[in-house]
Amino acid sequence: MNNRIKEYRARFNLTQDDLAKKVNVRRETIVFLEKNKYNPSLKLAYELAKVFGVTIEELFIFEV
Amino acid sequence: MLYISNFVLELYNIKFIIMKRTLIIFLVAALVLLSTGIWFLKYTQVTSLTDVLQFGIILLVIGFALYVGIIRLRSSRRGEPAEDELSKKVMQRTASVSYYISLYLWVFILFIKDRVILDTEQWLGYGILGMALIFALCWVYFNFRGVRHE
Repeated sequence: MNNRIKEYRARFNLTQDDLAKKVNVRRETIVFLEKNKYNPSLKLAYELAKVFGVTIEELFIFEV
Repeated sequence: MLYISNFVLELYNIKFIIMKRTLIIFLVAALVLLSTGIWFLKYTQVTSLTDVLQFGIILLVIGFALYVGIIRLRSSRRGEPAEDELSKKVMQRTASVSYYISLYLWVFILFIKDRVILDTEQWLGYGILGMALIFALCWVYFNFRGVRHE
């Protein structure tokens, strides 16, 4: 599963630290998410989408 | 006003619980270091390769515990949670995989114990140290590689 977190983060001018604090996770989790090394829980995916004001489908790209 | 003070107290409690958990890690590491120090000072004459190896593994495990503790402290100082879903998942995966590998370690010890003459206590010591080492190595692997397809 790919995601566009880095792209949206840059668009909203947020640092990894800022985003981590907004969704209440550690900065390392954001790093792993951006590198596609971790698939988040539904709760975290929802919170990330909420921060950027988009749907989960827009933020996460599911590839079979 | 009462609502605000309750809210502040709740925040303080959460921070205290996180700090307490981190403190336990440092406390356990200090106790292990203290007992290893006493053991090492008591048997200063014995400096065989196996003793040095045991001492090295214990120091490695203590180093691992301190590293985890420092990471948690750093996160809480930055205003982030000390534990989140990724760190919990890394810990869960580490526990399951290290348990699985440890079973093979004990089977290997059972196999080798008739061939190498050592006391039961020594075998138990090697087994426990091996388990701790496997756990630390698994944690390092999953912490830096990430837990992807779950």
